[in-house]
Amino acid sequence: MRGRGILLGALSIATLVFLLAPIAVLVLSAFDGGKFFRFPPREVSLRWFVAAYESAEYRRSLANSGIVAALSTAASLVLGTMAAHALVRGGLRRTALVEAVLIAPLTLPLIVWAIALLQIYARLGVSGSLGGLVLAHTVVTLPLVVRIMMATLAQIDPSLELAARSLGARPLRAAARTTLPLAMPGLLSAGAFAFLASFNDVIVSTFIAGAGWNTFPVRLYSQLRGQGVDPITMAIGAVIVVAILTLVLLGEAVFKWSRKL
Amino acid sequence: MNGARMMQGRRAGAVLLVPALVLVAGVFLAPFLLLVLMSLWSQPQGSLLLDTTLTLKNYLRIFGDPFYLRGLLTTVWLSLAGTVLCLLLGVPLAWWIVRWTGRWRGFVLALVLIPLTCGALLPTLGLVNLLGPLGVVNGTLKALGLIDRGLPLLGNQAGILIGLVQAFLPLMVLPLVTTFGRMPPSCEAAAMSLGARPPQVWRHVLLPLAAPGLLAGSLLVFCACLTSFVTPQVLGQGKVATFATMAYQQASQVLDWPFASALAMVMLAILGLMGVAAWGLGWRLGAQG
Repeated sequence: MRGRGILLGALSIATLVFLLAPIAVLVLSAFDGGKFFRFPPREVSLRWFVAAYESAEYRRSLANSGIVAALSTAASLVLGTMAAHALVRGGLRRTALVEAVLIAPLTLPLIVWAIALLQIYARLGVSGSLGGLVLAHTVVTLPLVVRIMMATLAQIDPSLELAARSLGARPLRAAARTTLPLAMPGLLSAGAFAFLASFNDVIVSTFIAGAGWNTFPVRLYSQLRGQGVDPITMAIGAVIVVAILTLVLLGEAVFKWSRKL
Repeated sequence: MNGARMMQGRRAGAVLLVPALVLVAGVFLAPFLLLVLMSLWSQPQGSLLLDTTLTLKNYLRIFGDPFYLRGLLTTVWLSLAGTVLCLLLGVPLAWWIVRWTGRWRGFVLALVLIPLTCGALLPTLGLVNLLGPLGVVNGTLKALGLIDRGLPLLGNQAGILIGLVQAFLPLMVLPLVTTFGRMPPSCEAAAMSLGARPPQVWRHVLLPLAAPGLLAGSLLVFCACLTSFVTPQVLGQGKVATFATMAYQQASQVLDWPFASALAMVMLAILGLMGVAAWGLGWRLGAQG
């Protein structure tokens, strides 16, 4: 039994290494000074980080990604929380169907949708516009918010809000002073997931983003299809990965801390 | 609360749903319906205007042209192989996480989730440097003197398969961890005490109990593989045509949108068939158990 456990452990750890190796290689190869990455590396340098910082083009595409992600996260947080509130607290019937519709962008293939959206956007003349991009990203991130907020609201006792109402608070004020603070950890993690999903999106954006609003993943993808790997993108990729992992760790820590309060 | 106020509250609650529902129905679901129509249009050669008379031309081309037919078969084969590999790696990993990691369980699960939080593109970028002719794998093997010439791990099906498994293994592990987590250790203890050996325990007790999780994970991985287009495009280096890369090419470069729509519809149909098959299988398993 013990021998089997060790064998299983070794296999599992090897699988984990396989899962994480590409990310580790991405971060390490950003420090390779050569124009083309080769292993073992010949020189270690920070020159691609400097070049990335100085490249106006990459800064622009990163800013675009940030703007699109921030706007669509804000929109999907508002709409998704409203919908989750109605589904959990509204006392409505037949919520399963409504929920299935709202979750659809998670279950139906985005590439199929993107091919349709490309044609519709072209007809309406909104392809490549900021508004069109934000609208599409809001749809993609909405189900994440609905799911997380439904789970969050289901755990908050509705009698707190009712107590505030019975003491004379108006509905919005009652919600803002009782449910909202308790839902804060859920809102934060919903926001983080929505932001990441939008920031990382390649599928939808490559189809509908135009020259005017190129996001970083689209820029990176078109370059990967063309000239191959530009070492500058390795440096930016490494920074993004480290930022994401730090945020996830921080989020985990904040979540644990907020539970102890 | 009296009846009238309850009705009022209910209506107010329903109003909150409207914006999200309108958005998803209008911007997400309606395009799928339009896609059915658009796939029946055609793009006359040398013209930018669409011919909107309904025709099955695009579908006949997909199933009549060996290039697209081969692309279809390659895609289905890669997705099936990816699913089987994810099962082979995912079942032991999930079992290990549930039964052996103890208080490290949360941490190990977080590690499994990392590839999902990094998006599709960045890990693929790392894989290019891992598998390339001068990459980590070939560099290490050469330094050890095991090979003279680099193994071809990019620009072929092997590279794509490695990429698909790396990207979508978490989709297999997560439902399996949930399923295994619900099975008490007494399951295998009871079977062992009756004299079953570990392979028999797995075959007759554990795998049947875990069938819903195995089915859910396999369906998720298969769908993700079938529609994935970053991985085949980047790791296949344009040398392997899959359904998603062909659809992208038609939609963004050839600009034959009706044909791209038809390719997308076929993809959707395959996923639908798989979903129905998985549902039927799950129903039968449920009826037996």
